[in-house]
Order: sequence, then C-alpha cells, then structure tokens
Amino acid sequence: MAAIPEAATLRMSRCVRCGNVDTPNRSVCGRCLSGEFEPVDVPGTGVLASWTTIRRAPTRFRDEAPYDVVVVDLDQGQRVVGRLAADSAPPSAGGRVVAISADGANAVFRVSGVATL
Amino acid sequence: MRKVLIAGIGSTAFGRHAGTPIEQLGVAAAAEALLDAGIDRARIGALYLGNFISGPLNGKEVLAGIVADQLGLPNIPCTKVEGACASGGIAFRHAWLAVASGQCDAAIAVGVETMTHARTAETTAALNCAMDNESDGPSGLTFPGLFGLAWRIHAQRYGTTRRQVSAVVRKNKANGLRNPLAQMGAELTDEQIEASALICDPLQLYDCCPASDGAAALVVVADSLRSEISGVPVEILASVQTRGSARIAGHADLCSFDATVSAAQRAYAMAGISAKEVDVVELHDCFSIAEIVDSEDLGLVPRGEGAAWAAEGRTAVGGQIPVNPSGGLLAKGHPVGATGVSQLYEIVCQLRGEHPNQVAGAEIGMTHNLGGTGVACTVNLLRRMA
Repeated sequence: MAAIPEAATLRMSRCVRCGNVDTPNRSVCGRCLSGEFEPVDVPGTGVLASWTTIRRAPTRFRDEAPYDVVVVDLDQGQRVVGRLAADSAPPSAGGRVVAISADGANAVFRVSGVATL
Repeated sequence: MRKVLIAGIGSTAFGRHAGTPIEQLGVAAAAEALLDAGIDRARIGALYLGNFISGPLNGKEVLAGIVADQLGLPNIPCTKVEGACASGGIAFRHAWLAVASGQCDAAIAVGVETMTHARTAETTAALNCAMDNESDGPSGLTFPGLFGLAWRIHAQRYGTTRRQVSAVVRKNKANGLRNPLAQMGAELTDEQIEASALICDPLQLYDCCPASDGAAALVVVADSLRSEISGVPVEILASVQTRGSARIAGHADLCSFDATVSAAQRAYAMAGISAKEVDVVELHDCFSIAEIVDSEDLGLVPRGEGAAWAAEGRTAVGGQIPVNPSGGLLAKGHPVGATGVSQLYEIVCQLRGEHPNQVAGAEIGMTHNLGGTGVACTVNLLRRMA
C-alpha cells in the first residue's frame, strides 16, 4: 500500500513587518507597503478552485500543449495559479490537490487521494 | 459635473481592412462622428484615443496626435489611453470628464485597432500583455483560459450546461447577421457550435470572439452647446471606471469580476436609476460565458441565472433585457481598442430609434467594457432625449 507522498513546498515571500505571505514577485507588501521580505516555504497542499485545458498555447508553451492550468487555494490561505501534472487523476472543483514540484511559487499539482496512489 | 451629451457617432465596419493603415480607420470613424454632430471642428477641445496593441502589431504609437492631425483639429491636447480591452471605454470616459468638468465644451473619443494582418502567434503574444505576466504568465494561462476557469465554476455552482451557453452564441451570431457593421453574423445550430474545436475546455471556437480591424468614434458636448449641433443627441447619465485585480490570485471569485460589480453599482447611483430601468445593454462578451457572468455582475440578471435567461430568450431583442443586439464582440467583432466606443455607438443608435436590431421604445441603455483579467472596467448609462 502506497504512502501519501509528501507535498512539495512553494517558495513564497513573507512581509517582515506585517507577516503577509504573497508570491515572490512583489517589491512592496500589498498590505502594509513595507519593502522587506523573507522567504517562506508554504506546503503545496490545498483545494482546487478551478481548472482549464489550454489547447491553443502561447508560443513559449506551444510544445507543452495541451496542458491543464489550475487555480489552487493552499491550506495556508494563498491562492496560486499552477499546472496539473499530465499523469494526474481527472480534476474536480473543490477536490484536494498536492504539489509534486515547485519553482518558486509556480507549482505542478496532482489530484490527491487514493485514486492517484 | 455638468450635463454632457453624445452629439455625433461614427463607426467603420468591423472585420478585415487589409492594407488600410490603422490611423485611417480612426480618422474615418471620427470624421463620420464630426459630420453627424454637425459641429465646428474649432469647437473640439480634446481628443482621447483608445488603442491597445498598435505598438507591437503595427509599430505605430502617438495615434491620438496622428488622427487629430489628419482631421484638421485645432492644437488641442490629444491623448492615447490604454487599458487592454477596455481602452475604448476609458477613452470615452476621459472625453466625458473633460467636458463634464468644464475643461472644454466639446471633445472626441476614438477607439481603433487592427489585428487581422498579424500572425495568430503575434496577436496572442500582444494580447497576453494584458496579464500580470510576472504572476500568471509562468502557468501558461491565456485569456480564453481565464474564462474556461469561470465556466467550470458557473457550471458547478449553478448547473449551467453547454447547451445553455450555446444559446448566447446563437443569439449574438444571429443579431450580428442583421447588423451591417458586424464581422461574423451567422445562423448557427447548437450542434454546429458544440462540434467546433476545443480551445480552452470547456470553451470551443464559437465561444470566442474573432480578431478584427475597426474603429468607432463619438463627439461629446456640453448641454450648453445643444443649439450648435445638428445630430440627434443622447444624454450621458453616468460614466464610471473601476479597477479589479490584475492577477488571478486577486480574484476571490473567478466567476465574477469585482470591477464590473462596483462599476455598475456606482453607475446606477450616479444616474439615480436601478438595473430594472435599463432597456438595452451592450456588454463585454469576449467569450460566451463572459456574457453570462457580466449580465449577472451588472445586476441585470439574477446571480446564477445568466445562462438560463439566455436559453429562455429573455436576453434576445424583444426579451426582458436585450443583451448585445449588435451581435456583441462574438459577432460584431473585437478590434480591442475600438470595442468600448463601438458599444456606445450601438447604444446611441438604439436610443435614436434607428438600430438594425431595434429594441422597441428603448429609453435607457448601458455599456460595459472589461479589460485584462478584469483589471479595468467602464460602465456607462445613456438616456434618450425627448
């Protein structure tokens, strides 16, 4: 019986002044305007908000199409946009997903639960 | 703010204008609007031009000044504005502001875009500039994809079906067939729509607006100039611009646009009317599902019932709230920077009682123009004058 795999972590930014966690591509905190951040690892587990299959891709992603783009609400509260792994079980809105890899805040997710193990 | 009227309107046909320089489309629409208004050009105190991607697709900027020059306008401030697909609506709002605030007594708003000469990859790359690419670009999301996300949620939350969404496509394509300015009118069956190629699930080809060339223009004047114009004027009751999030993470609900909701609420308050009093609307149906979401966000249709209302014919001409009698972006076409101005052109035709798809007795009309990921929105309310 397979174990539930450990989630990859997303590298995000935490505002040193107010603690707000956001994607790393910010120069100031959207909540308090502080410019001081520290990196923070956020577990890549959450709930699928929605998804779509991109069949007509921008040029730089053409070789990868078709691919699924997902919007995930992480358990720690952040909403992120990422990809669904090609070998994932079929997604459903409200279902649980887990990140299997991440580059900064850009993660590849897989539908979690018994079906994918 | 003083009372402002739309005194003159002009529009090219939307579609392919191969070989016509972009500025000439803008000039043609603007000249038509000036002649329609019958106003002395020396009276025009400002020009605002909406355009999104003439830089990347044509290598042309400063279009506002170029258009004014060819029109022989005085040495007035000429400003190009950009707000992705809402560029035209923003240009109009600035023209309204210039006159309403007393900066000048007359102004002209132009919207113009040419797209069909470019390769699809070039156009896609240019349009994708409307995204917060540092945030959402790396995922490979596209604008059709954004609306694929919205559709999934609408379907799950409200039970919206593919067949109901097809009703929006059939309606707008059929409306377009009767609008001589429309690019892609058609009589389509549900089967034809549902057999078209998948673009971004669940969006299929007929759910998407075409790339277009075209221009539209409006002359706005202070009410005090009414005796100096010969065109049939329409009163501007409200003109509102709002902002929503530039990135997906900033949208708490992917099936509603905050910018639209707040723009509509402010517009109703400014005009002192309720949504029930709107007789006709031209709204931003860049995709079929967008019309459904927009009609709910504007408060014209109860939340979650947009698709059902379309399927029941309640948004057709002659229905409870006619939506996009022009054919909308789906059928009239979407020359991006021109669209917001074109929507106003269509509503003025309705309020003058001379539209090819006339809504009987239309007194109050609405326009809704949405840019990017809902990052920019304009909503206008217009009223027929006795």
